[in-house]
Amino acid sequence: MSGYDVIGTEAPRIDAPDKATGRALFIDDMTMPGMLYGALLQSPLAHARIRGIDTSAAKQLPGVKSVVTWEDAGLVKYGVSPARYDETIFCHDKVRHVGDNVAAVAAVDLETALEAVSLIKVDYEDLPAVFTIEQAMAEGAPLVHDIYPRNISAEVHNEFGDVEAAFKECDLIKMTSLVNKRQDCAFIEPQGCIAYYDHSGTLTLYSSTQVPHYTQRSVAMVLGMPIGKVRVVKPYVGGGFGAKASANHMELAACLMSMKTGKPVKMNFEREQVFYHGRSRHQFFHTMTTGVKRDGTILALKHECYMNGGAYSSFGIATVYYAGSLLGGPYKMPNMKYDGYRIATNLPACGAQRGHGGVIARGCWEQQLDMIAEELGMDPVELRLKNIMTAGDITCNDLNMSSLGMKECIEAVRDASEWKNKKGKLPRGKGIGMACGFFVSGAGYPIYRSDTFHGTVVIKLTEDGGTALVYTASAEIGQGSDTAFAMIAAEALGIPLEMVRLESGDTDFGVDLGAYSSRQTLMTGHATKEAAEDVKRQVLEVLSKELNVPMEDMDIKKGLIVFKKEKPDFSGLRTRYIKEHRGWVDNPGAEDELSFREASRIAYLARGSIVGTGKYKPPELGGKFKGAAVGTSPAYGCSAQIVELTVDEGTGRIIIDKMVDAHDCGRAINRTSVEGQMQGSLSMGMGEALFEEVKFDARGRILNADLAEYKIPSALDMPPTEVIVVESNEPNGPFGAKEVGEGNIMATIPAILNAVYDAVGVRIYELPLNPERVHKALKEYKQKNKI
Amino acid sequence: MLLPKFDFHEPATLEEACQIMAEYGTRAKVLAGGTDLLVDMKKKLSTPKQVVSITRIKEMKKIETSPDGLKLGPCFTVADVAASEAIVKRWRALCAGAKALGNPLVRNLATIGGNVVTASPSADLPPSLIAYGARVVLKKTSGERVVSLDHFFLGAGLTEIAPDEILTEIQIDAPPLYSGAGYINEGIRKCRDCNVVNVASFITLDGPDGFIKNARIVMGCVGSTDLRAVSAEKLLVGEKPSETLFARAGEAAMQEAAPRGSAESRASAEYKKDMVGVLTSRTLHLAWKEALGH
Repeated sequence: MSGYDVIGTEAPRIDAPDKATGRALFIDDMTMPGMLYGALLQSPLAHARIRGIDTSAAKQLPGVKSVVTWEDAGLVKYGVSPARYDETIFCHDKVRHVGDNVAAVAAVDLETALEAVSLIKVDYEDLPAVFTIEQAMAEGAPLVHDIYPRNISAEVHNEFGDVEAAFKECDLIKMTSLVNKRQDCAFIEPQGCIAYYDHSGTLTLYSSTQVPHYTQRSVAMVLGMPIGKVRVVKPYVGGGFGAKASANHMELAACLMSMKTGKPVKMNFEREQVFYHGRSRHQFFHTMTTGVKRDGTILALKHECYMNGGAYSSFGIATVYYAGSLLGGPYKMPNMKYDGYRIATNLPACGAQRGHGGVIARGCWEQQLDMIAEELGMDPVELRLKNIMTAGDITCNDLNMSSLGMKECIEAVRDASEWKNKKGKLPRGKGIGMACGFFVSGAGYPIYRSDTFHGTVVIKLTEDGGTALVYTASAEIGQGSDTAFAMIAAEALGIPLEMVRLESGDTDFGVDLGAYSSRQTLMTGHATKEAAEDVKRQVLEVLSKELNVPMEDMDIKKGLIVFKKEKPDFSGLRTRYIKEHRGWVDNPGAEDELSFREASRIAYLARGSIVGTGKYKPPELGGKFKGAAVGTSPAYGCSAQIVELTVDEGTGRIIIDKMVDAHDCGRAINRTSVEGQMQGSLSMGMGEALFEEVKFDARGRILNADLAEYKIPSALDMPPTEVIVVESNEPNGPFGAKEVGEGNIMATIPAILNAVYDAVGVRIYELPLNPERVHKALKEYKQKNKI
Repeated sequence: MLLPKFDFHEPATLEEACQIMAEYGTRAKVLAGGTDLLVDMKKKLSTPKQVVSITRIKEMKKIETSPDGLKLGPCFTVADVAASEAIVKRWRALCAGAKALGNPLVRNLATIGGNVVTASPSADLPPSLIAYGARVVLKKTSGERVVSLDHFFLGAGLTEIAPDEILTEIQIDAPPLYSGAGYINEGIRKCRDCNVVNVASFITLDGPDGFIKNARIVMGCVGSTDLRAVSAEKLLVGEKPSETLFARAGEAAMQEAAPRGSAESRASAEYKKDMVGVLTSRTLHLAWKEALGH
């Protein structure tokens, strides 16, 4: 047994009743007195010079309260990484993609705002545009930004060990490629916000965001306000997956127009605008060359990657690093060389999406490892087990696997799926495939250079002593972090979960970098634990003095005070407590143990409000080379998956029959949420493998900017899943916990690719594996092999 | 996206509805489930100034079955078609199409009349309806006419309906003895999909385990309207059913498909053609099984 009372259980989510009954408030549910509605004017052209903007007709429309362009907003550049700030709220010299932001209107209602937007006249001079990497890198190609020669917005070149020398030692060298398609995070709730600049000069932005903290900083920087005058509040959020992990133009425009009008301004993206805002997974072109010994020992990987980045950098500089660094594990490999290029094009910007940067790289490599296994006559599971890292191993690029249940994950899925009875033994058309992957538990550094804590937490006991109030600026976006932190607080304080109330997602509660890079459970979790321990210490200090019992001889468990040695006479304290509660019917009886409620009331009477604080920032992490900050993390979660599927050889359609998934999350704080994250990422990975693709026409317009034609899996597409939680007790995690949200998606795409090969003998190097692509591959295969 | 402004009519009788249509003609649109019309209006693809709901007219939701066949009001919902025991018993392929359409939320609102009138060449119900030889009743103030669905569609979004007419009934005859039909739609995912290719096939045998007496094959998504695979049908008539025969019929059907494919559409012309072949033989197989009483 773990010895824990709260964590590790299958606790119901604390937000579940409100969400299930429709009471949970999302931006769209919120209104404020006198609220205006805003709308954006966005470019219909992919690349054009702005010769003039005429807003006069829009301004004259009755009901219009504010019309703003770059002239009102200024030209302060912002973005995600300070090294690549290349956006302004509104375009001024030119538009760089269809949907680029030109102007905004606030009016008494949405109809009026939209009508006003249609009255703004923009004089565009169409410019030649680049949409593909080939076009963008061609000699003399038009530049998306003058600051990026050849349209290279970021590039990475690094080598660990000596790859060419290692290849000379290899018995088999294999080169393959993989290309995916641009993705959309396809969360259910489109971005939305309400900005309110009040009479005291405080700007409050309510927004559907993953990162209240970064949004607060961007708003303050771009609008020229002190950070302390900007408050960002996140209500419930209907998913983010990466695309909501930075401030957006709409938030900034709403803030600007609220400052101009003194009224609250509400704005929402339409689904189409969600697609045009983009910031989801890039299109990656990976080429990898792996060298192995005859016995399967992996010696070296040479890797080249080109990414179609779209018009702005967004997270791109991190993406191009991650695409290389996340292949350092989970296999022992002494030599790795990586050349990555992120290319600017006249398409909406790409950014971060679940499994940031690593997903397609993992897909390419794990398919290649299966091909190597076949050529060596090895079972794919055996090849992986032969090379697997274990806890304490450090990758050639300095990622420290402080805990790593990778081997346990592989063995778990192998056994649960009956791999040995199935691999290579299923009838034609049916296949089984496996793959592995891992991901960071938070980045070692904030996105901007700073010594800031990554998370601070305040816990205050209510003065009656009955409830612990947890205040964290972290972002519950549907993943269950509120419940996880409430559980951590309860466990560390020694009280039942019901005695904890948690408020989150408000920059007034402290600093928290937010929900990205799978960081919150580990980082906010640490801060929560520390705050709870601080509170506990304060309560026990008072108790120690009152009862004359040494601190170390007491503890709090399950809401009761535990006396490890002789139980003192606490009847005096109890009498004081009961006297204050005449008429109450739930006062403790004479025989009852001393409760936390009594003890914390006594602590309040002695000291005033009991407030504990906690904080976390990662320790100094390995890697001194340029870009080492992208990939180093206090801990790494990992997963292995086995997929069984059927290929309809007539139509090319793939039906996933079963997915078996094991993930090492260090320790499951809330088992329900861990399993939910695993199932969710199986669904997302499956959609990306089989269906999803943002399509453009020849002028850079999106052809499927809706959830009818951009196809994420439906409930009917989800196969039976078996999710196995592996716990490795991460030394750097709170209670041993680390990530589950992103590492788990890594294995899905390659497991499907490998299962397709097992089913029909065809290797496919382009995603998604939609029926047409599979059908074409089968047709070519049959023609080639004269079947 | 917001709906544009329009006048809303909700007549209680068919006569009243016909009068409104007579008055406004092309400026008016009939509203049934709204799953196509309201979406198109939001997208500004359709801009009627008058919207005439026929959902309050009782007989528009009717289902009448008799030994001779079936009469459905246009507002009979797709969910009801999918769940109707009377329909699944004799017109199984129509149920298959209804089950394949959209998702439960859409099916609860979408109507059989709307699915026909929208005249989308990828719609789920028309191929089976045409294969079963269905007819529609078109009514206006001055009278009504009955049109075979086979001659009803004129192009994508274009039909025989005049601006002052309302589709008031769908009629399907009872399939003769030793008949069967099959419908398969092929897309990307299992629900709320848009078809890449869909095919309905119908055959009648001249006796139990007999020769094919009559065949109708209807292909969706491969032309501006649903297309009959006439040469494939001819090839089948007089032959003894077999998988080889069905494969040949599939190949013949492929030659009659005229898909337009481009990078922008849901699939290439080549893939659509190949799928016509696969789905034709598979739906013929389903039809044969049903004709044999399986």
